Amino acid sequence: MNERIKEYGGAAPIEPSLIEGGHDFASLTDLVSGLVELPTPRWWWIIFSICAVLLVIGGLMSVYVISTGIGVWGMNSPVGWAFDITNFVFWVGIGHAGTLISAILFLFRQKWRSSLNRFAEAMTLFAVACAGLFVTIHLGRAWLFWYLIPAPNSISIYPNYRSALSWDFAAVATYATVSTMFWFYGLIPDLATLRDRAEGGIRRRIYGLLALGWRGSGRHWHNYESTYLMLAGLATALVVSVHTIVSFDFATSVIPGWHSTIFPPYFVTGAIFSGLSMVITLIVPLRVLCGLKDLVGPRHLEVLCKLILATGMLLSYGYMIELFNAWYGGSPMERFVFYNRMTGPYAWCYWTMMVCNVFIPHLFWFRWFRTTPWAMFLVAICVNVGMWFERFVIVVTSLHRDYLPSSWGMFYPTWVDILLLIGGFGLFSTLFMLFIRLLPMVALSEVKAILPAANPHHSPAPNPRHETEEAEASRETSAPASAGVFDGPPHCALARFDGPGELLEAVKRLVAAGYRLLDTYSPFPIHGMEKALMLKRSKVPMFTLAGGIFGFTFAHSLQWYQSAVAYRLDAGGKPINSPEAFVPITFETMVLYAAFGAVAGMLLLNGLPRLYHPVFRGRSFTRATGDGFFLAVEARDPKFDQSATTALLAEAGGKEIELLHA
Amino acid sequence: MPLVFTKTADIVLGRIVVGCVLSAGLIVSGLYYYGHPLYTRVGYAPIQPVRFSHEQHAGRLGMSCLYCHTGVEQSSTAKIPPTQTCMNCHQAIKATSVQLETVRASWTSGAAIPWERVHRTPDYVYFNHAVHVRRGIGCVSCHGKVNEMPVVVHDKPLSMGWCLDCHRHPEEYLRPPDEATNFHWQPPEARTQIEEGRILQAKSRIKATESCTGCHR
Repeated sequence: MNERIKEYGGAAPIEPSLIEGGHDFASLTDLVSGLVELPTPRWWWIIFSICAVLLVIGGLMSVYVISTGIGVWGMNSPVGWAFDITNFVFWVGIGHAGTLISAILFLFRQKWRSSLNRFAEAMTLFAVACAGLFVTIHLGRAWLFWYLIPAPNSISIYPNYRSALSWDFAAVATYATVSTMFWFYGLIPDLATLRDRAEGGIRRRIYGLLALGWRGSGRHWHNYESTYLMLAGLATALVVSVHTIVSFDFATSVIPGWHSTIFPPYFVTGAIFSGLSMVITLIVPLRVLCGLKDLVGPRHLEVLCKLILATGMLLSYGYMIELFNAWYGGSPMERFVFYNRMTGPYAWCYWTMMVCNVFIPHLFWFRWFRTTPWAMFLVAICVNVGMWFERFVIVVTSLHRDYLPSSWGMFYPTWVDILLLIGGFGLFSTLFMLFIRLLPMVALSEVKAILPAANPHHSPAPNPRHETEEAEASRETSAPASAGVFDGPPHCALARFDGPGELLEAVKRLVAAGYRLLDTYSPFPIHGMEKALMLKRSKVPMFTLAGGIFGFTFAHSLQWYQSAVAYRLDAGGKPINSPEAFVPITFETMVLYAAFGAVAGMLLLNGLPRLYHPVFRGRSFTRATGDGFFLAVEARDPKFDQSATTALLAEAGGKEIELLHA
Repeated sequence: MPLVFTKTADIVLGRIVVGCVLSAGLIVSGLYYYGHPLYTRVGYAPIQPVRFSHEQHAGRLGMSCLYCHTGVEQSSTAKIPPTQTCMNCHQAIKATSVQLETVRASWTSGAAIPWERVHRTPDYVYFNHAVHVRRGIGCVSCHGKVNEMPVVVHDKPLSMGWCLDCHRHPEEYLRPPDEATNFHWQPPEARTQIEEGRILQAKSRIKATESCTGCHR
């Protein structure tokens, strides 16, 4: 223990601090917002140009493939799926680590995730966008993708809900939607920070609009946190379900090498494994380039490496069980597939996969590899390569030896295949570069909340940074509270406090004095504030439940009506009404609508978006999303009396007290 | 710091949201209406090289469809009659009519009259004309009341959903096969169309296919 503390700078006696460099709220805000606000650095332009060139290549290739047809790819009977599905599964898999970090680790209260979750979620979104690109082009006639949408149409047919491909559409579409919502939801407070720091009018308005009028109200945080928990729970269900359903595309077939019950867990662990290695690939250079070493320290990287080691071993177990079952199952076809993988014409792909995914991650047993960024970067690159080859091996080697030797064939990629693969990386990296330039790449409000000073029971050291400012502010307070334009009745009295602890004490004091219409404004949720403000349990879970029940009922009855009543299509003799086959889509839709319910609940209960609010008139209120802690007493409160309330606020430690008009 | 948004911003935002929802609704319903074959195909009435009136020939003169469109009971495709069919009569009747100039020119030169095709099934649809006519699907069911059309109009959408309507419930459209070309056929007094259709369906052992491969072979 002692040794570890020494190594991490001995920041805390019990547990090494997650945020190094002695940051406070203001310096953290400056650091993260600076990435967006400061002039664009040269390295950004260089990397962005390279990515953009790759994106243009990918765009041209997409146009070529869509306009000419997928015959320009190298695949042909018997290899009907090749790079397209390999890339699709690869990119969907990459996304899973983002959701793991943002959702599962949130539920497990892993505080270190706060430094990583925002950009990992963005990685998820962009990876899913790439997956969507490949799977859409792969349709051949991409403009007919609407056949997958269960809308009434002139051809009177509906999707076949007994096919894994329509499950897949539901799963990936739900995943993309919920991940986007979750990501944007977390961004709201940080967008408000950028709004309040922005100097240009247009910039302020754009961030302001996107922030939906967020003002960090204690009552809002209460519902916000509840929704965040709901979304984390729902996204957890997606981490497990989405790649399971992607694996059904293979596992429900009768192709040896695909037709296996190990596929769902094996795909999910593989997905997380590949995604975590992509996180390392991205964060190791970015923490240096963006100056985020304080936020993403050695401890974060080491935990990521350990996770890669763990998921890598789970994946290896999947590989071994596959081999064991092929041998033990006794099917000559199954045995041949695996023998062929190891020794056949694609053996070099198989062994690349084995070396990169099974052997190389074991380097992380050595501490040196877990603590040396460039070494872990190389291992992560190997894992990325290995995971791409894993999908290639699964897709292509299972197909290229058909049951009859007369139908055997080979797949060789054409230049279009290869350029489109490169273009996929172009799309991903271009979106990612734009993201780090336009949006805060670290979840500010969450990182602030894990600083020791965020604990209201922590007594902060006096902060020299704001001494002069505060002295100035208190001088201003001596003048009568008169900020704002007198164009309405008085709305509230606003006071600023030094820290979360002072704010909490002040709230308790005012509540004890009989005030009820109080609200606090802070850059992050303060532990214990909902109790001090006497807020009831949030109603957001009820909205989530209602959404979930609606989604379940809607999806199941839709599938039943379309399959069993409106369009009774006989597909391979499967039952027309087969509730078992409806489970995946019902589940995904339930999660989707529950997430809609959770977000709608937060917005409705908090009355957002509300772009204008009287508290925005506060002189230093822009600090409420940075490092300021405010308390507002509404004029509607029966106990409200201008002079008495102001005096009480001052007595409780309030500064810059002012009366705001509506 | 000046305010980012004033009080009116929320009102404007509300209006924008309502506007977006309404526009999205308009776009979706517009696509449904203007993209549906009911809109894109029904009403198509191209100008033909000869102003031939079905109303005159099939309606007032009461000529059978089969006089000109021979082979619809035997062939998988319906046919446009050759110029000779026109000239069977028009050598004698209105033999000097200016309106028939194109017909006579075609007859003497031997080049076909370039009629504009009105009804067309896509290449990926297998449609056998004879099977439908001989099982008792009337001309009128798919082509409309041609006997009342001075210019032939695309009367039905010919969408896949429209095909399936009949394939799922053929009894609503069946008639005795020898009444297929009769524009004025009605089910017998004692029975409704459905009852009559069921009898005919049983008699001809009609199992209209709903399988994909029935039409997409």
